[in-house]
Amino acid sequence: MARISIDIGGTFTDVVVDDGGRLSSVKVLTTPTAPEQGALDGVDRVLARLSLTPADITGVVHGTTLATNALIERRGAKTALVTTAGFRDVLEMRTEKRFDQYALNIELPEPLVPRPLRLGLRERILADGSVLHAPDDAEIDALAETLRGQAVEAVAIGFLHSYRNDTHEAYVAERLAGLLDPSVTICRSAEVSGEIREYDRFSTVCANASVRPLMARYLDRMVAALRERGFGGSVLMMLSDGALTTLEQAARFPVRLVEGGPAGGVALAAHVAREIGSRRTLSLDIGGTTAKICFIEDGQPRTTRNFEVARAWRDVKGSGLPVRVPTVELVEIGAGGGSIARIDRLGRLCVGPQSAGSEPGPAAYGRGGEDATVTDAHLTTGNIAAEGFAGGIIDLTPDRAPDAIARQVQAPLGMETVEAAAAGVVEMADETMANAARVHGVELGYDVAAFDLLVSGGGGALHGARIAEKLGIKRIIVPKDAGVGSAVGFLRSPVAFEWALTVIEPLEGLDVTALAGRIEGALAEVRDIVAGAVPGDRVVTAVKAELHYRGQGIDITLPLDTADLVAGLNGLGAAFEARYRAMQGFVLPHVAVELVSLSVTARERREETEPTPMPFPDDAPESESRAVFDGRAGEALTYSVVPREGMMAAPINGPAIIAEAQTTTLVRPGWTVRRMAAGHLLMERGA
Amino acid sequence: MTDTLDIVARTVVWNRLISVCEEQANALMRAAFGAIVREAGDLSAGVFDAQGRMLAQAVTGTPGHVNTMAASVRAMLEVVPPETLSPGDALVTNDPWLGAGHVFDFVVVTPVFLNGRIVAYLAATSHIVDVGGRGWSAESRSVFEEGVTIPVMPLRRGDALNEDMLRIVETNSRVPHEARGDILSLLTCNDTGARQLTALMAEYGMRDLDDIAAFIFERSAAGTREALLRAPQGVYRNTLALDGYDSPIVLKAEMTVGDGRIDVDLAGSSPLAVRGINCPLNYAAAYAAFGIRALLAPEIPNNHASLEAIRITAPLGLVVSAERPAPVTARHVIGQALPDLMLGCLEQALPGEVLAESSGALWTIALSGAGAVPFTSLNVALGGMGARPGLDGLSTTAFPSGVGAVPVEAAEVAAPLIYHSKEFAPDTGGAGTYRGGLAQRIVIGSRHDDPLDLSAAAFERLRSGPAGRQGGLPGAAGGVEITDGTRIDDKGIYRIPAGERLILQTPGGGGYGPPDQRDPRAVARDRTHGLISDGAATNIYNQKNHQEET
Repeated sequence: MARISIDIGGTFTDVVVDDGGRLSSVKVLTTPTAPEQGALDGVDRVLARLSLTPADITGVVHGTTLATNALIERRGAKTALVTTAGFRDVLEMRTEKRFDQYALNIELPEPLVPRPLRLGLRERILADGSVLHAPDDAEIDALAETLRGQAVEAVAIGFLHSYRNDTHEAYVAERLAGLLDPSVTICRSAEVSGEIREYDRFSTVCANASVRPLMARYLDRMVAALRERGFGGSVLMMLSDGALTTLEQAARFPVRLVEGGPAGGVALAAHVAREIGSRRTLSLDIGGTTAKICFIEDGQPRTTRNFEVARAWRDVKGSGLPVRVPTVELVEIGAGGGSIARIDRLGRLCVGPQSAGSEPGPAAYGRGGEDATVTDAHLTTGNIAAEGFAGGIIDLTPDRAPDAIARQVQAPLGMETVEAAAAGVVEMADETMANAARVHGVELGYDVAAFDLLVSGGGGALHGARIAEKLGIKRIIVPKDAGVGSAVGFLRSPVAFEWALTVIEPLEGLDVTALAGRIEGALAEVRDIVAGAVPGDRVVTAVKAELHYRGQGIDITLPLDTADLVAGLNGLGAAFEARYRAMQGFVLPHVAVELVSLSVTARERREETEPTPMPFPDDAPESESRAVFDGRAGEALTYSVVPREGMMAAPINGPAIIAEAQTTTLVRPGWTVRRMAAGHLLMERGA
Repeated sequence: MTDTLDIVARTVVWNRLISVCEEQANALMRAAFGAIVREAGDLSAGVFDAQGRMLAQAVTGTPGHVNTMAASVRAMLEVVPPETLSPGDALVTNDPWLGAGHVFDFVVVTPVFLNGRIVAYLAATSHIVDVGGRGWSAESRSVFEEGVTIPVMPLRRGDALNEDMLRIVETNSRVPHEARGDILSLLTCNDTGARQLTALMAEYGMRDLDDIAAFIFERSAAGTREALLRAPQGVYRNTLALDGYDSPIVLKAEMTVGDGRIDVDLAGSSPLAVRGINCPLNYAAAYAAFGIRALLAPEIPNNHASLEAIRITAPLGLVVSAERPAPVTARHVIGQALPDLMLGCLEQALPGEVLAESSGALWTIALSGAGAVPFTSLNVALGGMGARPGLDGLSTTAFPSGVGAVPVEAAEVAAPLIYHSKEFAPDTGGAGTYRGGLAQRIVIGSRHDDPLDLSAAAFERLRSGPAGRQGGLPGAAGGVEITDGTRIDDKGIYRIPAGERLILQTPGGGGYGPPDQRDPRAVARDRTHGLISDGAATNIYNQKNHQEET
């Protein structure tokens, strides 16, 4: 039985076939106007290579950035927002906050729905869910007339406090559906994101409504084309939180797909973590422009419901459109191979976030790039070799690297050697990434030193050791097959669905039985969604509760035992105090503890298959070595160079370099590396 | 390792010091009680060298903490000398003249010891929701009525908390447990920062911070100097009129741009106001310096050396240099007007580079229940930001403060209020080639038709709107009324009778450049979007027949 994974990104589309554990992949160019064409071309090619036909395929898993790009480029449907009268500007007022205190010229993104299409309707539900004004039929009918007149393709409905009582949204949606052309998409805020904070919820429903027509059409075309080829299996879509869902749910809530691609990368990291039994894993993916980090616990990536798409201002937090759906909690850092090194106004060395990208690229690419980049620094120190760079796809002009470093870094800083300057550039990049991980870890209350570092992307294995040293981490994993990571990750992901409920009630006096009933109801819904794609006996559920001291912003998330919800709810207070004391060093017994929200998840229980052991070669390759300048030592050290496929079972002591087509693993002094049976590299410090 | 680091290591350490502060400020943000304190980011964290000079500080929503914190560590060490401090000790105060300008802000300072010697101090400050007195209003006639003041004293000796001091605060506060939590959070924040600082010093083999301090100060002084040189030397003067508590206030500045430094004298500004909108000089200086630095040196980090190049002075006893026992609770009403006062001076030095005036002081909506259900609710109503050279002003966005509003749903969950509407107010953004940011109109009533009490302390610019620049027109003045016909025209306490509603309209931002130079497409769009009226398009922008477009 073979499964296919399709990852459509902005530039490339990856197709991977998993034929009983054997992976085979192909990379094709994305065809933006009809993305299914490039993908199907890839499918045909990889199947032909394996002498398989679509009829041999039991399932397709698919992730795409189509919805994300449509939001960034504002290519969604013509969308109207029907909202509580008096609040039509919520979408444009946003948080009313400047996200950069000292930048006077910041610009905010255009709202997804322009003011003339934001229409108020007289209705009002209060904070406790009670009705102040019911909507009036005549007013709804008049509104429908306006919507028809404007020829809108999608209608988002967002009323105040609908997370508490969604009857007005449901009523208006139903009545509008009867009055508008059936082709018009209608979305309600409470079914897209059932959470308090009107701006976030309205933003989420508008994003969903605007991309839904486009995504529904696209998915129809894709499935029809697969069926035409004789494919008879199931299609599952990759969600932003690293789980898969059914086509039906994906077409209803396309906004849940926006981070599917990056989530696939994290899903693969999580899979490797489970495979090798790493309980606490810090995933670090270093690409050409950015690095991404994500904490993984017990093989599950951390997720968040605070996510922004389409950031308008230098990727600064607060400058995008909030989307309150479950998303892998990735921190993106403006540091990668193409990051430019420069000297700032205060005479300090800075690396990134500006990037030379792939065009013109690092100076050594010889495509007109004059800026010194991190890749140029690696070439100058000898961390990477010019021969065979990036699997031989890119021909380098190696001399341009030290020239650029000398000109842009060494001379202005007055450093003695170009190698030292280059090592400084690498050190700054390492520091930027390590510090982002440190800051994020502290924010989450983690002891980062207790995590394993799992590196991927072209630069992960190059920077991993020094970053681990900075974080006190002692184990690094360099997985195999990192090249088409996201598509492989899709294949390793479970089917799952998460839903959040806003509660905001003090624990004391909480009607535990009623709340348990509400949770059961939500669990039944998410279980049904997952059971649409997975046999019922393989569906497991989980509930997490978010609590805080009333009035405070330290939200603590605790698991809730689904076997006995009442007992679980009754035990929350004690568990909260214990966690709070561990984090803050004190408790406040006289302040009420509030249950803020609950998230319920149904998930497919996957049988983890034992990885097939990869044989070791019979003979060790001839030993080679090269000089690598070490910034900490202040001089060049001799690194032995071993090709990855030539590694024997015995560990190799650093300083050493493990070379392979797509990446270089730098084993710094004090580290050892060995190849594990499954093919992954394990680097250990002081071992 | 050696005592001197190379350039790369020094840069890494400097970045890391800033990062430690930012991290601690974020932790404080989550720990703060009260949604508006969190939204406001009304807090800060900093790291200081052994001489009490600020090395790094977090950038938060309120520039008011920048200079004040820089000065408070040394001031506190004058009261409790460093040689009397031992590991574990921490100092505290909320003295407005040593801390951040009103009794709500507590400052905690913790020494960091290495090998038995103090190598650094960490400072953290945060706004505590209630410390007694009259609470949040401008009604006090002296600081004695504004709440309990804790003189500089130990908050902790070794591992023993000063429970006596905490009990004094708890006994005086309307929310004693939250106040205790906020103060303990400051202590936790410094302890975490101290651990990170020690780890950083160990990683780089540093025995003290002398070398890194010299590097930071030298680079910052040179960078600031270079940045300030962009403004031509000269003396520039500006005046700004405010409503005041119940009679107008004038703010005056004489700015001397010298050779890489700026000196500002606020002499000639109005004398003390009768109630609590007065501003201690430390807080006035923080905002004035922020206005100058945001325009000229935005990317230079806050520290002892970068702040030294800008000096703000005033004869004592004015509304900008209030002395004890003047009441100072709503000192932001004056403080937040100072950036516009400074920008008006700089407009003469750098014509064409300076944004128009903004709505200024944050309008605090302080409502409390005057009926059966007691409660207090704090939110903010934000006006428009001034138009920028080349860009419209941001609508309903505070400047100079970086504070956002509490969402309506959250505000209604927290207090028995109903927000009946909250929308842009058309024709409020000052007309210009670039339009000022729009104001908003908010209507609020009681959930239970109970009477409400309102403090009007921060409703400033009700008499005149923020000025435009380069031919741009002023933004609309604000207006506050109660549906029973009462117009609010001073900063006192008002009763909103049962069944009536409060109607707030904030000030709009000033416009930039002549209105008739505005791109006709922008005018048409503003009209289609209902941001300006047809009348304004015709009469002010002088554009009658342009095709409408969306």
